[in-house]
Amino acid sequence: MQTLHDIDRPPRPTAAPRVRPTRRWNPKTTIEAYGMLVPSIVGFAVFLIAPIAVVVALSFYDWNFLSDPEFVGLQNYRDLAGDDRALRAIGNTFYYVLLNIPAQTVLALLLALALNAKIKARNAFRVVYVLPWMAMPVALGVIWRWLFDPINGGLNKFLALFGIDGPSWLTDSAWAMPVIASVNVWQYTGYTMLFFLAGLQAIPSQLYEAADVDGASKGYRFFKITLPLLRPAMLFVLITSVIGSFQVFDTIHVMTAGGPAGSTATLNYQIYLESFTQRNAGYASMLAVLLFAIIAAITLLQALFLSKRTVYDFS
Amino acid sequence: MNKTRTAALAALAVAVPLGLAACGGGDDDGAVTLRYAFWDDNQRPALEAMIEEFNTEHPDITIELEQNPWDDYWTGLDTQFAAEDAPDVFWDHVSRFPSYASNGVLLPITDRIEEDGLDTSIYPENLYDSWQYEDEQYGLPKDWDSIALVYRLDALEAAGIDPATVNDLEWNPVDGGTFVEFLQKLTIDENGNNALSPDFDAENVAQYGIAQASGTGQTDWWNFAVQNGCSLQSEPWGPYAIDEPECVEAIQFTADLYNRWGVSMPAEATNQPNGGLGAEYVVAGQAATTMDGSWMLGTYRDGLDPGTWAVADNPAGPVGSGSVINGLSNAIYAGTEHPDEAWEFVKFLGSEKAQRIAAETGSVWPGIASLNSVFADYWSEQGVDVSGFQAAAEGTTIGYPLSMSDAAFGTAALDEFNQVWLGQKDAQEAAEAVVEIANAEQ
Repeated sequence: MQTLHDIDRPPRPTAAPRVRPTRRWNPKTTIEAYGMLVPSIVGFAVFLIAPIAVVVALSFYDWNFLSDPEFVGLQNYRDLAGDDRALRAIGNTFYYVLLNIPAQTVLALLLALALNAKIKARNAFRVVYVLPWMAMPVALGVIWRWLFDPINGGLNKFLALFGIDGPSWLTDSAWAMPVIASVNVWQYTGYTMLFFLAGLQAIPSQLYEAADVDGASKGYRFFKITLPLLRPAMLFVLITSVIGSFQVFDTIHVMTAGGPAGSTATLNYQIYLESFTQRNAGYASMLAVLLFAIIAAITLLQALFLSKRTVYDFS
Repeated sequence: MNKTRTAALAALAVAVPLGLAACGGGDDDGAVTLRYAFWDDNQRPALEAMIEEFNTEHPDITIELEQNPWDDYWTGLDTQFAAEDAPDVFWDHVSRFPSYASNGVLLPITDRIEEDGLDTSIYPENLYDSWQYEDEQYGLPKDWDSIALVYRLDALEAAGIDPATVNDLEWNPVDGGTFVEFLQKLTIDENGNNALSPDFDAENVAQYGIAQASGTGQTDWWNFAVQNGCSLQSEPWGPYAIDEPECVEAIQFTADLYNRWGVSMPAEATNQPNGGLGAEYVVAGQAATTMDGSWMLGTYRDGLDPGTWAVADNPAGPVGSGSVINGLSNAIYAGTEHPDEAWEFVKFLGSEKAQRIAAETGSVWPGIASLNSVFADYWSEQGVDVSGFQAAAEGTTIGYPLSMSDAAFGTAALDEFNQVWLGQKDAQEAAEAVVEIANAEQ
């Protein structure tokens, strides 16, 4: 019979501790190894570490791009408390993530389950659901904007066939954010599905066979076998998609530009507005540091909740 | 050879050409390349023709055009200034001029103008002076623009309106005046009833009287503001004053066209930055008129058949029929490596020879006063009388607001007034909110 052990509670070792093979430091191979790493380390430092350091430094400056930056200490951080737009943007960001992540994750899981079953044209469906993710977000945004146009848009013309007077989706502050979130759900569900599909296919079929022998119901099989064994896939999906949705930009830029009345300006979009339309590069850098801190905190929480790594011993 | 090593070599093979490519692009022996940045696609052919003419006298100066659409133009330029890698010569707009001039990214040309004995009286005085900051000149006028009423002749004909009457329309904030009545006749539902008819179906409108769309206010509420005696600022360079009664009245009138009279294309479809422009709805036949800038004439020419559209004077409000007049200049980047060549080019772009080329293609009203007739002649050959723009420029017109806090004002105004157009916010309240935000940075 198979047993599951949590790595947190490893079985007591019974045999003598394994002998570690001795490793000698070999200058030749070390230099060679670092030599190989240089190109990627340089790239990493120049394109990732340096910009991050610059943004953190700029968050203590007042800078309009045109004249020299002026050191203002913590002023940008202090100004945040009185900045209604930035505070609203933080609220908008969480609202967007809450609209986006649960719907996207559940839909992706359901699709993965459906397309993991032996159905006709399964591969064709898999491709179709991934297509939106392969397309350019900006191009899609433009097309969705047309579809959601209140007067000439396809959606309201369609609704009118049934006598329904559709709302002005993107200019109504109650509708704009749900519309943006649903466009992104549509776009990324197929991509998320791929990870669930891979996770599902990694679950050994003996488990289901054994469950069948025991007469387990479909629901029982899902909640006791499928879902727990999808945990690594779930961890990856949630961490990457939450980070991605905190950083949503292109759909918003193309479809609403943060409007109406700032109702779709997420923190990431507010950073863009502050720096590139208001020329407050220092203040925008402070917001970027803030967004980084929020994402880091949430990723850490997710990892703590989900990362109990499970090892499966099928011997 | 193992896999890792192959991968590393492959990575190097990709990286090396990138490094080499970054080293290219130097000038050789005396020849100079200048980068010239602009945003308007309509004017590209004229620019290319001007550059060709410039090269007959200066074959050793190559001009590279750098085009970015309006929305990306300024963010691009700002970051290029920050990176000290800006184009040598570029189109400058009055709204950006104050911050550029005061931050030292523009090359002063006062001395060069004197040394070369340039006759600056060929430019209208106010146009020339608008590029001055603290006694220095920072550019030569490239063009000027104003706003006039563009309308569909076929729509007027169908509504039984004599085009000759369009130049004399009047509006007032109380009962709308003849202007609103004119727009009501042009607002037609799907059964063919106009907005004055008792059977009018406001829910199913096939054609609206007017489409109002503007990212700044220049082609919508600023016109009514100027016509109502509002000058947007207390004085040029001064604080914004759009919470004054004459301004709020004009803002309310703009909102009334949407919500009280129902003659304007709904704000849901025209609110910027993501709504359609007035020209798009007029060309599509969904609106009969729009207030538009002279720089947009090419869009109507290319989208509509000759003889189906025309330009009229703006309607007259309580104090007159003016609009906001504006212009562009050709400016030089203070950090250019080739200031002498850049000045030669700017001087040429400001010359009669160059501006005649632009005027002959009908792209923009030229910065040189004597060439206005060349531009007007081009359009009369196309069957369009463009004197409405000149009338607007001579009316109770004001210059484009000059302010250091243009960006804050622009963003706040769009945010607030979009809600007013949607009927979700009170005009007075919105105006006060904008003034508070815009003047906070003064």
